[in-house]
Amino acid sequence: MKKIKKYTGFEAVAIIITFAVTVFIFSAMAFIVMRGVPYIGEAFRSEEVRFALGLSLRTSLTSTLICMLTGIPAAYALVKTRFAARHLFSVIIELPLSIPNIMLGLSLLLMFSSGIGRALSEHGFRVIFNVNGIIMAHILVNLPFVIRMIKTAFMNVDPKVEIVAGSLGAGRLRTFFLITLPLAKNAVIGAAILAWSRALGEFGATLMLVGATRMKTETLPTSIYLNMATGDTGPAMACAMILLAISGISLMLANFINGEHKKAGRN
Amino acid sequence: MISVENYEVNLSGFRLKNINLNINKGEIFAIVGETGAGKTILLESIAGFYSPDGGTISYGGRSVWDTPLEKRRIGFVYQDYSLFPHMKVRANIEFGLKMHKVPKKERREAVQQMMKMLRIDHLADRYPVTLSGGEKQRAALARALVLKPQVLFMDEPFSALDPNTRQRMYELIRSIHKNFGCTIIFVTHDFYEAASLAGRVGVMIKGELREVFGGENMFGEHSDPEVVEFLGRYEAKESDYENGYKNAFCRARGFTWQRDRDKRLGADEQGFR
Repeated sequence: MKKIKKYTGFEAVAIIITFAVTVFIFSAMAFIVMRGVPYIGEAFRSEEVRFALGLSLRTSLTSTLICMLTGIPAAYALVKTRFAARHLFSVIIELPLSIPNIMLGLSLLLMFSSGIGRALSEHGFRVIFNVNGIIMAHILVNLPFVIRMIKTAFMNVDPKVEIVAGSLGAGRLRTFFLITLPLAKNAVIGAAILAWSRALGEFGATLMLVGATRMKTETLPTSIYLNMATGDTGPAMACAMILLAISGISLMLANFINGEHKKAGRN
Repeated sequence: MISVENYEVNLSGFRLKNINLNINKGEIFAIVGETGAGKTILLESIAGFYSPDGGTISYGGRSVWDTPLEKRRIGFVYQDYSLFPHMKVRANIEFGLKMHKVPKKERREAVQQMMKMLRIDHLADRYPVTLSGGEKQRAALARALVLKPQVLFMDEPFSALDPNTRQRMYELIRSIHKNFGCTIIFVTHDFYEAASLAGRVGVMIKGELREVFGGENMFGEHSDPEVVEFLGRYEAKESDYENGYKNAFCRARGFTWQRDRDKRLGADEQGFR
């Protein structure tokens, strides 16, 4: 006999709300898919979309690489060392998480318009209205996020296994590479995938710092903005579709890695 | 000799106060105490894991902190064994030898020998997550012992084991001690374990090492009223007797009980449970 599931009033309300939320989010995504699919072929033939995709991939991969290379040691220092100002540093590093991206872009604009920015520009490192600016914007938006995620991953590594590794003859560096990092590996890879996906979709800070110039600083989100502004909904929808597909795959990949990680019970 | 002098450490509000202790080379020393008394912190302190707020800890006259952790030649076995979860048993045991740059052939031989000695050679290619408590414990011991440490620290190493496995482990520890001659310091809350394995026992109460005495005097006369109360609170179990802790006198709550079934002095009648 089939077992009848009974829910309490609270559970039933929670399920109904979940259903409504899912329908709302799914509808929003579905509209992009429905409107974008017919333009996909055309989009890949469009030089502008190909440029936007190429620039987005190039800048997002570079910024993600920089975020990981700086974020991993920073997270390690904040979690595994006891330097005096670590709490203050932690607050400062995580501050951008609660600031709108457009404001972060403004702060970079002010910083690189100052003497330091001019000095860098004179030495060949231009940021404002330049591709470098896109990478800088991605880094400022994503680095706090990456550090926070990796910090959590490092915190989940039992300090006792690191101590035991030390007692067995591993110095700090070898303990980090042979114990800490492999144990946090899946979370670190997940952080990289999500950071890359976020960088691909970053718009506010990028717009403020490098503007929106066709075929120059035109990333996928900028392309959506420019094409919608001029009424070219086709390429805009196609770009949106590409972004949605990349984000969806990234999210699934990150979830899969995390799921495998939990299944293995290795932390 | 390990010498702890006026050692103090403050860890997030918990304080170890004025610890003084000498442990002889090759000795087995047990630390007992109630939960939260500071037993594990004392064990970790003796291993040199914490910077002190006062006092010194030295191994053979040399301050423990003068030698980096990786060069101290100590083995540490935690209560949960802390095996490296991403490495198979063989790799766990081999880890220390690799860190000490032992050639591969010697390494493999030493690991094989150690696994054989601890009867875990059939577990070599298993991950720790698939092992039972006793198997994990033996793997952790093998990992620590393969480096032939001068001092072996163990934090409640037998608490998660069933009585039979525990008995076998006691025998194993005795034979390890006999074969390797290393100093063994361990934490336990099992009086029988402390008295039967250790030459001397230290009682921790509220962050202080109140008394140190020979294992055979576990239930003898004690001057500190809190130590008397702590030891008196222990309810001797039939398993203590079964475990073979015979011919020793237990004095607790003012009653004497000879733990020999044939000579048992009517403990129940005397109010001893």
